[in-house]
Amino acid sequence: MSILNELTELVIKGDVNGTPAKVQEAVDQGLDAQVILNEGLMPGINEIGDRFSKGQIFVPNVLVAAKAMNAGVDVLKPLLEGGGDTTIGTAVAATVKGDLHDIGKNLVCLMMRSANLKVIDLGANVSAEKYIEAIKEYKPDVVVMSALLTTTMNEQGRTIQALEEAGVRDQVKVMVGGAPVTQEWADKIKADAFTADAAEAANWAKEYVLSK
Amino acid sequence: MVGRVKYNVMTAEELQHMKNRMEQLLIERGIHLDHDEMLEALAEKGCIVDMEAKDLKFTKEIIDKAIAEVPAEFTLYSPSGKYDLKFPNPTGDFYTRTNTGAPNYRTIDNQTHYVKPEEVDEWYKITNVMDQLDFVTLPSTSGEYVDEAAVDVWTLAEALKHSAKHIWVQPYEADNVKYLIDLAATSVGGADKLREKPVISMISCSVPCLTYKHMDAEILYRSALAGVPVQPCSLPTAGANTPVTAVGTAFMACAEVFAQIVMLELLCPGLPVIATPLLFSMDMMSTYTLQSNTEITAARLVAMELFEEGYNIPAHSYGTGTDSLTLDAQNFIERTNLIDAMAMSSASVLGGAGQLETAKTISPVQLIIDNEIFGIARRLRRGLAVDDEAFDWDEVLAGIDKDPSFSFLMSEHTMRHYEEPHRPDMFNRDGLVQWERAGSKTLTQKAEEKFYQIMESDDVYSVDADMAAAIDKVRDEATKALSGK
Repeated sequence: MSILNELTELVIKGDVNGTPAKVQEAVDQGLDAQVILNEGLMPGINEIGDRFSKGQIFVPNVLVAAKAMNAGVDVLKPLLEGGGDTTIGTAVAATVKGDLHDIGKNLVCLMMRSANLKVIDLGANVSAEKYIEAIKEYKPDVVVMSALLTTTMNEQGRTIQALEEAGVRDQVKVMVGGAPVTQEWADKIKADAFTADAAEAANWAKEYVLSK
Repeated sequence: MVGRVKYNVMTAEELQHMKNRMEQLLIERGIHLDHDEMLEALAEKGCIVDMEAKDLKFTKEIIDKAIAEVPAEFTLYSPSGKYDLKFPNPTGDFYTRTNTGAPNYRTIDNQTHYVKPEEVDEWYKITNVMDQLDFVTLPSTSGEYVDEAAVDVWTLAEALKHSAKHIWVQPYEADNVKYLIDLAATSVGGADKLREKPVISMISCSVPCLTYKHMDAEILYRSALAGVPVQPCSLPTAGANTPVTAVGTAFMACAEVFAQIVMLELLCPGLPVIATPLLFSMDMMSTYTLQSNTEITAARLVAMELFEEGYNIPAHSYGTGTDSLTLDAQNFIERTNLIDAMAMSSASVLGGAGQLETAKTISPVQLIIDNEIFGIARRLRRGLAVDDEAFDWDEVLAGIDKDPSFSFLMSEHTMRHYEEPHRPDMFNRDGLVQWERAGSKTLTQKAEEKFYQIMESDDVYSVDADMAAAIDKVRDEATKALSGK
């Protein structure tokens, strides 16, 4: 097995200590950092994504594989062009104002990070003003609005309206989700995407960012 | 009671260990409570409070003192006066209640949408005539149809006007708590009468781990001041916000509920409380929150046993429900499995009637069928007498069956007992020929027929016009105050 194949297997196994050690070994052998990333680490995380989408592995498998890959990337960063930022895009995520439920939003953040997105987690009970500030500061590709209650899902619509009034709506794609949220609701409040679960949210964001 | 069937899911050592660890957690780690007034009041009662951090720790002495105040007996009253619920249940039976917190309503035509105001009235028209259903919750009207700042106020107003049975109230905003209590007080003629005969009890929920946000602290505080009973909840999700093990999640839920009970009894000694740990788990593949995971079902029994056997505090958890979206086989396997397990537990209350989709949808057809299943579960809990009368000892010993003219069908023993077997109202008890003659109806179709029969019948309960107007007046004043924020 080549060292690149070994790296792929270590990522799949979620070996958080073994992966960076093996990356260092590959670097020491003189392999190009970009080759290590593209042909060693990335095939591993892509395989994990494929297995997860087929229902063959569990969420913790995905998260620990992403952690292993990131540990490997940390070794490569000084050697990669552009400072080694390997993330493919940025998301701002929060639970809307008035709603303190954050399990779903936290899962979305974890899965998006595993999909190699940079995620700015604003927390729960987040006002439209904070969303707008974050959009201006971080210039995200997507904005995630979570709500668990029928009493708070209206805030998703008001936040989107506030984004329009602040002139930042066109700069981002707005994703909505949460237990009472439906595609019909997303259409009604003019969100760009409704996703049914965290994995779907991460996939949608990833595909959108890659298609830009 | 005769022949009471009950599971014991913990050894005496395990039960004591869980109690010790739970109390240790509250003493050494403590809780986070976002309510300055309540923190100050609890500090005066001897709790160790950090006002700046809003953290609170208990002492063993404080815990023991508070738990000693939990009433051994109390009554949850009903608006009609016909369905008052004595705790503990004098017959050893459990009580039942409808699902709470679902945003969606599955209509008789199988359409699913956010709960509409007219469906709240429809719901209570059904619950009033379900003989196995003991108290009700608020099928919260969507903010699409009434002022979203006051959906709980609007729904409680409808409940007070239409429900013959005790109402368990879930507030959605801290500011609403006062108005919800005012509404209930109006319905019984004042705050003193509400304290004397509470027709509502409140829901408060913790946020795992051991955090109480302002709204829920306000519920606890205002309920204690008003003498309104509380059924404090914890709704952890194993693997998401509590330990992934079912028992780890039950442990955290119990600790969070226990802390609420301690605080309530410190603020209002003798306040009726029912411990209500409601456990969930996260599916590690889909990430969906599940209600019917098998280990979680078993852990509910652990939680019930902890409170009922460990502290002599009545306990309440989900007694029915499903993660299925429809009235399919999975649904009925999950809910019957849960009902039967909980019926054999120590639980005083089995909740969740009418729910589908992990408590996110309520269905009148499902509610009517749950009523049927509760009847079976109640019969199971009562158990069987094991004595000579049940053996038919005298007749059997005498060999009375040897007489060619004898038939058990006509024996005196049969005459004494033939009406005892439980007969679910809608279940098929015919052979194929009669079943086909009667239209080959399934249980679901019979439940749908029953739904239409109930809808075509007169309401069995509603308050008079003057009381309805008084309730509406408080509702409208509350709505004006809340929406004007």
